[in-house]
Amino acid sequence: MVGSPPHAVDLAALIAATMLPFASFLAILVATRGRPRLSAGLSIGSVTIALVCSIALLALNFQLAAPIQFSTRLIASSGLNIPFGFLLDPLNLLMIVVVSTICFLVQVYSLGYMAGDPGFSRYYAFMSLFTWAMMSLSLSASLLQLYFFWELVGLSSYLLIGFWYEKFSATQAGKKAFVMTRAGDVAFFIGFLLLFIHTGDLSIVHLNSRAALAGISPSFLTLSALLIFGGIVGKSAQFPLLTWLPDAMEGPTPVSALLHSATMVAAGVYLFARLFPFFSMSPVAMSVFLAIGTISMLLASTMALVSRDIKRVWAYSTISQLGFMIMALGAGGYFAGVFHLTTHAGFKALLFLCSGVFIHRYETNDIYELSRLGARRMLVPMVSMVLGAAALSGLPPLSGYFSKEAIMGSLSVLPDPVWLAAGLVGVFLTAYYSFRLIFILLLPGESEAPAGAPAAPAHESDESGHKFQDRVMALPLIILSAVTVILGFFATPLKHFLGASLTARGLAGTEASSWPHMAALALAVAGVSLAWIEFGRKGAKQVGFVDRIPSLYRLFSERWYIDRFYGLLVNVVVDRGISRLCYQNDKKVIDGSIDGICEGTVESGRVVAFLQTGMVQYRLLAMFAVLVLLALYFYY
Amino acid sequence: MQMEPASFPFLSAILLSCVVGMLTIMLIPEEKHRLIKQVSVVFSGICLLLTLYVFFAFNRKLGGLQFVEHVSWIPSLGISYFNAVDGFSLPNILLTGIVFFTGVLTMWELNTRVKEYFALYFLMVAGVFGLFMSMDLFFIFVWYDVSLFPMYLLIAVWGTTRKEYGAMKLTLYLLAGSALILPAIILLWAKSGLDTFSFVSLMHPGLFTPEVQKFAFLLLFLGFGILAAVWPLHTWSPDGHVAAPHGVSMVHAGVLMKIGAFGILRVAIMLCPLGWIYWAKFMAVLAVIGIVYGAFVGLMQTDLKYVIGYSSVSHMGVVCLGLSTVTVAGLNGAVFQMFAHGIMTALFFSSVGYIYDRTHTKMIPELGGLSRIMPVASGFFIMAALAGMGLPGLANFWGELVVFLAALKVYPLFGVIAVLGLVVTALFMLRVVQKAFYGPANPRFAGLQDVSLWLGTPRIILAAVLLIVGLCPSLLFNVIRTASVPFMNGLLR
Amino acid sequence: MIVPFSNVLVVAGILFALGVFCTVARRNLIMIVLGIEIMLNAASIVFVGAALHLDSLDGQTFVLFILAVAATEVSVGLAIIVYAFRRTGSFDPANFNLLR
Repeated sequence: MVGSPPHAVDLAALIAATMLPFASFLAILVATRGRPRLSAGLSIGSVTIALVCSIALLALNFQLAAPIQFSTRLIASSGLNIPFGFLLDPLNLLMIVVVSTICFLVQVYSLGYMAGDPGFSRYYAFMSLFTWAMMSLSLSASLLQLYFFWELVGLSSYLLIGFWYEKFSATQAGKKAFVMTRAGDVAFFIGFLLLFIHTGDLSIVHLNSRAALAGISPSFLTLSALLIFGGIVGKSAQFPLLTWLPDAMEGPTPVSALLHSATMVAAGVYLFARLFPFFSMSPVAMSVFLAIGTISMLLASTMALVSRDIKRVWAYSTISQLGFMIMALGAGGYFAGVFHLTTHAGFKALLFLCSGVFIHRYETNDIYELSRLGARRMLVPMVSMVLGAAALSGLPPLSGYFSKEAIMGSLSVLPDPVWLAAGLVGVFLTAYYSFRLIFILLLPGESEAPAGAPAAPAHESDESGHKFQDRVMALPLIILSAVTVILGFFATPLKHFLGASLTARGLAGTEASSWPHMAALALAVAGVSLAWIEFGRKGAKQVGFVDRIPSLYRLFSERWYIDRFYGLLVNVVVDRGISRLCYQNDKKVIDGSIDGICEGTVESGRVVAFLQTGMVQYRLLAMFAVLVLLALYFYY
Repeated sequence: MQMEPASFPFLSAILLSCVVGMLTIMLIPEEKHRLIKQVSVVFSGICLLLTLYVFFAFNRKLGGLQFVEHVSWIPSLGISYFNAVDGFSLPNILLTGIVFFTGVLTMWELNTRVKEYFALYFLMVAGVFGLFMSMDLFFIFVWYDVSLFPMYLLIAVWGTTRKEYGAMKLTLYLLAGSALILPAIILLWAKSGLDTFSFVSLMHPGLFTPEVQKFAFLLLFLGFGILAAVWPLHTWSPDGHVAAPHGVSMVHAGVLMKIGAFGILRVAIMLCPLGWIYWAKFMAVLAVIGIVYGAFVGLMQTDLKYVIGYSSVSHMGVVCLGLSTVTVAGLNGAVFQMFAHGIMTALFFSSVGYIYDRTHTKMIPELGGLSRIMPVASGFFIMAALAGMGLPGLANFWGELVVFLAALKVYPLFGVIAVLGLVVTALFMLRVVQKAFYGPANPRFAGLQDVSLWLGTPRIILAAVLLIVGLCPSLLFNVIRTASVPFMNGLLR
Repeated sequence: MIVPFSNVLVVAGILFALGVFCTVARRNLIMIVLGIEIMLNAASIVFVGAALHLDSLDGQTFVLFILAVAATEVSVGLAIIVYAFRRTGSFDPANFNLLR
């Protein structure tokens, strides 16, 4: 086993950071369901401690040389020795800080957003469940343990998407999310079981060492890498399993911010980074990942061009940004991918939380409607949103600029320029659709609401509570904006921190030339300007270039017909095809033949029963006749 | 095989508490419902405590047969009253104890023919306990039938949907099963030439020729396979589940189906290992078809209990797949899955029972929005559904994990197909949850009460067991491997 | 013995045939019981005749037994018939075929 001896402080912090949210989940479900304030207090208290522990761990281990592993063997069934415990290395130290920060901010924000909801306690219970699962996922020492929490994260996603379970679309979306990610997870499951069968160990440290895989044929390695990647595709909503994520926006907005943009969907990318040395041993698999990342990135960006729903635009952009991360990792840019994950978590959570403020106030998701109602008058969210969008587009000096730059750098070292070109197109589209949204919101078209109309008629009654809600919701926005502004400047120390463990194994990315950065910046500016021309300048018709081509518009807004395809698959092939066939077989063939045998028995009994008239006299007659005949027979 | 004689006949005490409970109930006047139920709870509680004691007192280091009780009964035929537990039967005995106790609590609100119901129920459970602990082939057969015949009455009298059909179908199927088992047992008895039904004496490798083993194994596999709902002999089980009253459904799906799988393991596999190896692939094919097929048919169902019934077919396929791998891991996983599935279906039926008693329907389209009206009762059902999907943290995950691991090792293709069945299972479980429990609340059920603490006790117990075993699987694995490892080692030698 | 044994057999045979006819052909439960009694009597006659013919008292002992059995049989049979008549109001054996 690799690693230095465990430090008691570390272990205590780890246990506190993971087990407290679980305890609060149980406590809320069992004891405090009827007391919303106490539930929220428990949940936020536990996540605060988790945050403090994570930061402490990061600070304590900033000069970490080799991964630390604390583990016990949980199941010691013969043939199945699986370590269960914690692994500490730069990657997951970074990850737990990101996760606990966003969890903390979102839970605070939810105090305002979810105020007065009948399921307030339930909401915080699920949030705690998610925090527990996500923190444990990040700290898992073995693939099996990671899978364990991977599924639990999926469960909390299901529960939170369908949180407003009286709404049909919400439950439908939750189900879709669970089943689609499950489809990916099954591949992951098979993949790691195959690995286990061939290597006998699922410890992440072990899998990442070259020695462990020495005896395995390259084709098998590629196969298991691809299978495990299936789980990533499902969780991070990559092509072809990408359509669940936009639907998942049916959940409460803080949930979208936490699970479906910043942390849970990033778990896929995290897994990629986690097993990066393992994956990079199979060049074929790596190029497949690169291709899938690129396809998802481009598809999702085109979908975002035409959406009118503010949350869906950000959802598509999440898919495409995750695509960027996977491209970066697939291209070998370990740092670029992880760094983009970090910055993206910050600015995407920010964008969602801002949208949440608008949605909470105006109760609509439509960007034109929001604009008409005067969303631009809300100063803090609007400024934060512009900041977030600018970071998303990759404008300096915001965090997104630095991480995109790193990605372009890693793409540019690839021999084939196609990937870089695709990446640049992606940068352009990203800038265009994010500023399309911003300009629509900022500059309402001709039909503006009367200027003197009250901003929020629905919330007038409870002025003090309202103010509290606004403040509670504004605080995370300000913090996240600050993070978005400054995080980019920490690129170098982070790179050093993350790279420490990797350079040791000779996997650090090579330095690239600078022209791709310039091109990316130029294209981002071009995207923003195109958006300005079409949506922003005075007298603009607010019609994008895609809207002018109806067939393209249809293709994009129907999400490239991927959803139709799945609908058809489930309805026709599964429901009306195999399922009905099996059911009919059960009823007609198996039951039919069994019932046939029974009926046959009954029928033949009935035939024989005709001989039985029930008349005692006939029987006597027959008896006598037989006796007489017997007598005659014996006599002669 | 290592044998540890019992200091006190705990196993007989378990049996006796069922029988004495039955007799006591029969002595209570018909109309004293409350007293009958209290007596039932007391006796089933004693039973549960005894099984818990046996489970925790079982020496996991020593393994082998423990708590052995041996009394010769008919020496001329070699029949003896021979009870013992080993690593395979111990989880099943614990399962029976838990399901028995919670089944009594689930039927707390029964009002018709209370006395007869509980008397027959105790008799049925006595048969099940007897079968799990008996080490004598003759007694195994007797207990098998003892547990079957009360089942017919319980379903036909207290059942609900198409109860006569369901009861008759179940009885005929299972009698057909015993018609296959009996000749096989007699064949083994005759061919051994030892004049004994004792399991320990018959379990010598090389006692039977390969031909005898192959033939006997097939008979036993099909005979017990009917009870384990092996495809295509499964159609009695959904019909039976649906027709039975809830407490009986719990025992039926939770424990009786395990008898089938346990019979395959104890009698067919352990006595005819060569036959097992010969037919293993055949078993695997049936098991994989069962897993996928059960899930697909489950998609089409509109009755809550039918959904659970078909999910049982699918899950028992997992057990059978584990048994078919001829590996230690496969056996471990199969026995674990038996336990997990038993607890899970008991939780399912217990929740459905509660809901049905209130809403008087179990048709999914007529329910809807129950989460708003009875959040706790719905929560238990949803938890069982999550367990059925193999969610980590609940018991079923470990059973499936280990079985699939073994299957992927031995039959990669079947393993992959079976794992893909998980997606379909997830789809149909979530569909049921969505249609029955989510959505706008149905005004028809607006005034209904959510579950109280006392009426919720059986579900709390079952859910707690699912969670505890799910978080600490070694609790069971440590027991099971005391039987599976020596058995497979003996086989390989 | 004055009367030859064969004559006794013939009388008994005729009596038995009458009994059979009565039992089989009459649609009345009482007549059926009567027919059975007649057949029993025919058998008794043969026993008496045979006892004389073979010089053995065994046959006459049997007749005593038969008389006792016949008496009980008639009483039980009649009781059943009376009960059946009360239940259904009919003596027709065609009405009593529930066991078919």
